[in-house]
Amino acid sequence: MATVETIEQVKQIDVDQYKYGFETQIESIKAPKGLDENTIRYISEKKNEPQWMLDWRLDAFERWQAMKEPTWARVSYPKIDFQDLYYYSAPKNAEGPRSLEEVDPELLATYEKLGIPLKEQEILAGVQNSRVAVDAVFDSVSVVTTFKEELAKAGVIFCSISEALRNHPDLVKKYLGSVVPKSDNFYAALNSAVFSDGSFVYIPEGVRCPMELSTYFRINEKQTGQFERTLIIAEKGSYVSYLEGCTAPMRDENQLHAAVVELIALDDAEIKYSTVQNWYPGDANGQGGIYNFVTKRGDCRGKNSKISWTQVETGSAITWKYPSCILRGDNSRGEFYSIAISNGHQQIDSGTKMIHLGKNTSSRIISKGIAAGVSQNTYRGLVSAHRKATNSRNYTQCDSLLIGDRCGAHTVPYIEAKNSSAHFEHEATTSKISDDKLFYCMQRGLSEEEAVTLIVNGFVRDVLQQLPMEFMAETQKLIGISLEGSVG
Amino acid sequence: MNLAVMKTKAEQGLLEAFQSVADTLPGGADVQKARREAADRFENLGLPHRRIEEWKYTDLRQVLKEALPPSIGDSTELTIADVIVALGSLASLDAHKIVFVNGAYRPKLSTPMDLEGLEFSPLSSALVNGESKTGLTRTSGPKDDATLALNTAFMSDGAVVRIHDGAELAKPVLIVHVRAGKEAFSATVRHVIDVGAGAKVTIVEAFVSLPGVTDEGQINTASEIVVGDKAYVTHVKCAVDKGAVTHLSNWMVRVGKEAEYRGFQQTQGIALARNQIFATFDGEDAKLNLSGAFLGRGGDHIDTTLVVDHVVPGCESRELFKGILDGHARGIFQGKIVVQQAAQKTDGKQMAQAMMLSPDAEFDSKPELEIFADDVACGHGSTVAEIDEEMLFYCRSRGIPEEKARVLLTESFIAEAIETVEDEPVAEALKMFARGWLQAD
Repeated sequence: MATVETIEQVKQIDVDQYKYGFETQIESIKAPKGLDENTIRYISEKKNEPQWMLDWRLDAFERWQAMKEPTWARVSYPKIDFQDLYYYSAPKNAEGPRSLEEVDPELLATYEKLGIPLKEQEILAGVQNSRVAVDAVFDSVSVVTTFKEELAKAGVIFCSISEALRNHPDLVKKYLGSVVPKSDNFYAALNSAVFSDGSFVYIPEGVRCPMELSTYFRINEKQTGQFERTLIIAEKGSYVSYLEGCTAPMRDENQLHAAVVELIALDDAEIKYSTVQNWYPGDANGQGGIYNFVTKRGDCRGKNSKISWTQVETGSAITWKYPSCILRGDNSRGEFYSIAISNGHQQIDSGTKMIHLGKNTSSRIISKGIAAGVSQNTYRGLVSAHRKATNSRNYTQCDSLLIGDRCGAHTVPYIEAKNSSAHFEHEATTSKISDDKLFYCMQRGLSEEEAVTLIVNGFVRDVLQQLPMEFMAETQKLIGISLEGSVG
Repeated sequence: MNLAVMKTKAEQGLLEAFQSVADTLPGGADVQKARREAADRFENLGLPHRRIEEWKYTDLRQVLKEALPPSIGDSTELTIADVIVALGSLASLDAHKIVFVNGAYRPKLSTPMDLEGLEFSPLSSALVNGESKTGLTRTSGPKDDATLALNTAFMSDGAVVRIHDGAELAKPVLIVHVRAGKEAFSATVRHVIDVGAGAKVTIVEAFVSLPGVTDEGQINTASEIVVGDKAYVTHVKCAVDKGAVTHLSNWMVRVGKEAEYRGFQQTQGIALARNQIFATFDGEDAKLNLSGAFLGRGGDHIDTTLVVDHVVPGCESRELFKGILDGHARGIFQGKIVVQQAAQKTDGKQMAQAMMLSPDAEFDSKPELEIFADDVACGHGSTVAEIDEEMLFYCRSRGIPEEKARVLLTESFIAEAIETVEDEPVAEALKMFARGWLQAD
């Protein structure tokens, strides 16, 4: 039984025993500590980037210097010293041609530990339908991308963004920064200046991507920031489903992760983007952990396009993340499904923005927040309809569950309707696990912890169902682990 | 970067006006000191602007173009008949009337206040005699709110009402504010209402105007209400005006143990309204019901911002706000429910709904939950939509002409909020006001 398994896992794993907390001893090349123009030139040079890319970065850096760190989110943390970070770290072997044979065996072992099947043959031996193409990003650099040939046959480009800059510069130049401009916000500007790697996906017109695409991020080096940039372009009538997973070893210091994800869906295209974020959340005293300050935005640029975000947020000391949809094309649709679990000293301020610009656009937001320990869990969202967005529709449901009396759950939705034909509904509830439900489960022979896990899994079911099959089972277990120690 | 450095014309006007009238405002040395401190606070804060989160949708710095001269001790000639005309559908209400004209108390137009269980004195004399000092600071609003600071600096009159323990008033107390005359002015009033333990009372504040009055006016009103243990208070504010009137209002409410407070605000015909309510639970097992109706057309801008603070366990709060927006009117609702860690067993529900009659209308809603206790059941909802075409079709299929059906549907929509007022004659009068507004289209 899945629940029992989860409970056993929970028992094995203390808060201090973060499952993914191991460090891989690999030689790496780092940029000098600190951030100035030279750091950016260094990164750009290391990656053999064209001049326009360097200029773009330098422009972003200039804008970033004029910006202030945002303080409006309900999170508190000591001021980040941006000069005390490494902005670039790459495993030594990663430079040069990439094939599996050339990848450091130590690295492969790392991914094996993480349960990421990099070796194509292993996956090929599995069920046809469960094949996933993986792009693995280690610290700052994309290490390996699998299934390239097969994807190429379908015309799909799936590679690291540095590779895309070399092989498909026109595509990158055309779309990079078109959804999240350089100076969009403090962390997006920082990312634009120093981003090191990330994934690039291009689905040509009319193609349904033959398999799930996946990226795996891991921060390994001490005191490094990870700034990855993901760019996904779905041409007319295409479809792609993309998964993203994140982990980091245990560290005392807080590590910074400031990513930017841009999605572009043209006419009739659909992008499904799923994230399971399980960065190191810090220890039981709130020491260490990842600062996860991410800008994710999708642009439904074409008619009848659709972008769907699904996120499971269980890790990170601080999460500051608002995957959004700009519903520009007529009849376009945006979706946001979220499970955000905070335990211990974690702080989550997450939500979405649905910006209705086109006619007959619709959006749906289902957010499930679970707060335990002494954590703070905030949903912050915006739904807006502009003057010309006739017949826009939105349905929002935000539910929060509190476990323990020292945590906080907050809901801050903004609803702005500038058009009378807009039809917006917003609903939010906050409660604890009902004693009746708990009693019922325990009376059937479940322990309190099993009962809580069962009820929580039921609470988040609407969102779980949106996840690709591969992630669903894993997520259910993750929920159990994340809530460890919250009962009794 | 600092926006507050440059003073706008209105900010400068307000500060200059204070300098010129400070010595004529009522109150002893301590009151004068409090006024100066408030004026200094305002000088530092400036008018609230959209960079301040609570004022995101109402940029007073932008929309308040100038400060009108303050009206102190106004003596515009008015008769009881004038008051009745101004009161409109509230005129027939059988109530104890306390009448203010352009912000000044008029004993001759008011009902004699020699009632069992009720003490009344106008704030202008209470401030001088020092008798209401305790009442003035018993409630608390936000410390850095510019509209409240302005109220404290300029308050010239108001009603100080004390209801004795256990007293049950058969008739409502109607506090009438009449705007009259050809001169544009600003009036600042402050009410201090203290309801004793176990008392029961209905208090209605009406902001109305005489026909032929100047189109311009600025009202800044604040009410401090302390609800004693087990008391039952119905508190209604009805602001019905026309022209380019600015209405800034603050209610600060404390609810005692096992008490029930039912507040309602209706706003219509006001060009710029900001209604703030700050309610705090003082004692356990108390109930709070806040609701309101806002009707806007033309370029009206009506903002309702409230904070309900659950500090103690076992309390229940309910909010229902409904609005109708026509023309390019803008409605704003910001409702925050805070549940402190000690406030276990809190039950809080909130709903804000707007109906938009014109494509250019706008509704911005920000219902907020801030919860630090786990044993709670809290929820909020917010909807915005046009008139339901299917309902319209249903009415028409039953032989009701389209125009009439629209009026019926809008009226019943807004009536749901008005009906939370339990005092039937008051609710009827409010509905009449709403109907008058809907038909004046």
